[in-house]
Amino acid sequence: MARITRRELTNLAGALGIAATLGGLAFGLPALDRSLPAQRAVSPAEPYQVGAGVSVVPPAGATIDVTGTRPGDTDGTALFRLGPVSYAIAVRPFRGDLDAAAMRLRERITNTSGYQVTGTQLTVSTAGGLAGVQGGYTAPGRGGRYAVFVGDGLTIEVTISGNDLDLGRSLPQIEASVRTLRHHREGR
Amino acid sequence: MTTSVVRPASGRLRVSAPAFGIVLLLLVAGGVRMARLGGEFVTAYPRATLTSVLLFALLAVPFWLVVAELDFLEREPVRLRVIAFAWGGLVATSVSIRGGAALENIVAKLGSPHLAADWGAAIAGPTVEEIAKILGVVAIVLMARSQINSVLDGVVYGAMVGLGFQIAENIVFAVGAVALAGQGDQIQPVITTFLLRGFLSGVWSHTLFGALAGAGIGYLVVRRDLPRALWSILSAWAAHVLWNSPLLTDGPGNGVLALLAVILLKGLPPLLLVLWLVRRLHDRESDYYASRLATLRDPTLITEGELHALRSGSRRASARRLAPGPARSAVRRLQRAQARLGVELSRASAAGVEHWSSVIRRERVVLARLGHPEAIAGPVSWRHTASTVLTTVVAIAVLWVALSALGGA
Repeated sequence: MARITRRELTNLAGALGIAATLGGLAFGLPALDRSLPAQRAVSPAEPYQVGAGVSVVPPAGATIDVTGTRPGDTDGTALFRLGPVSYAIAVRPFRGDLDAAAMRLRERITNTSGYQVTGTQLTVSTAGGLAGVQGGYTAPGRGGRYAVFVGDGLTIEVTISGNDLDLGRSLPQIEASVRTLRHHREGR
Repeated sequence: MTTSVVRPASGRLRVSAPAFGIVLLLLVAGGVRMARLGGEFVTAYPRATLTSVLLFALLAVPFWLVVAELDFLEREPVRLRVIAFAWGGLVATSVSIRGGAALENIVAKLGSPHLAADWGAAIAGPTVEEIAKILGVVAIVLMARSQINSVLDGVVYGAMVGLGFQIAENIVFAVGAVALAGQGDQIQPVITTFLLRGFLSGVWSHTLFGALAGAGIGYLVVRRDLPRALWSILSAWAAHVLWNSPLLTDGPGNGVLALLAVILLKGLPPLLLVLWLVRRLHDRESDYYASRLATLRDPTLITEGELHALRSGSRRASARRLAPGPARSAVRRLQRAQARLGVELSRASAAGVEHWSSVIRRERVVLARLGHPEAIAGPVSWRHTASTVLTTVVAIAVLWVALSALGGA
């Protein structure tokens, strides 16, 4: 049987070192990420800045999930959690009209395997004067609502998801929060 | 000129078995992961995915050729260049997708969502991606140590890893743009991504960062020069941080012209640094091989003028341009054979010297028959320079119009 030389052992150790470093990046960092808490308390008394000058008053008892929250000057996202229900808002520059924005959001929802848009769309407006549409969708074991608003070159997309029981409990508070969406033009 | 500039390698590619086995496993694992991702893309957006693969694969060709031209004198084995490219496209990309997202989340958790939104890409991207890419060059060193015999070899492998990463990442971004647009299987977001990331950002992207980091490994392996190695690797990281940072984005305002200004301000300094470094390394390597060829003192193998032309990429190209149509390919073959002869002389390989000398003499006969006996460079042509500048300006103008029409800015 051929003997393994010292040179081959060093070579093997080097290659295993590469594999270990890659493992640290691909699995170690996600493990460290999961070990750190993602949720922070937010005040239901004051508006939360989502990004691009858009603000919303969070529902009482909600926390903000920092992994899904990225406020910016021209766009932004915010991810709130109300128990097991997630409530996401995404603001992006947009040049189309409300129909195009709604179609775009529905397309993205139904592109997720098992997700279906249900019922008809209804018009919705916010206290800040934003006009939009809202609807619902289902997925295996989950349900959800969506709403989309367009104005000042922006689209504001809202998606709410959770299991039917939790959703039923939290929906009134979240819908009240959606109605507080506001765009501050000077904020952009 | 010292022998430490280049360490002649033996002609045969000898691959170290333990490292090769592990690298192969990592390539398979990365390939499976990227194939799964590709499968999801093709299922959801078949037309857009295939278009982006085709466009970015085509874009890889000129990059590959430029890197190959850098590598003209002492060619790296194609197998190793392909492994470096595959490492970038399969291993480094799949690791970076997971690791980069996790590190950005960690920035948000330990800092704030604002910090992650502004600086997350600048902190997480370069940190994870540059490590994952540079490990590809280290893997090449472990597999075929004898092939890294000049700092320029490190640049070539680093650039190849970076190119593989750049192409795979751009395809992921292009299909991501299609998904975000939410208009089904449309190719317009692919075209916009191609123009923005492929053309405008492509020159100063991962190929550039990879080349810089690869120079670092070259300095470490060939010259045992730790300060220069660290400087090169940190420069690659810093150039990537600058590129991903929000700095200057608020300055010049909106629009395509502002976008071009920001891209130039962020991308030009690292590009100039790499060009300067590569020029210096290339000159040193070519001086080394030219000094070996000069010892021949045989004008049937190489004349003074040809030796001068062989030392620089632009003069080699000028010599090819100067040749009449049918002689151009013969000049290229002659230059290749002369370069190989220089390498064989450095290896003191009698058989190699004999073989390439006979190839050169054969090409010399062909050139004499075509009425162009000597492959020398022509004088600097203002027409050629003006044509290059004009082509660049026209290309930028076309890009500008295309981006404005597509709303890419």
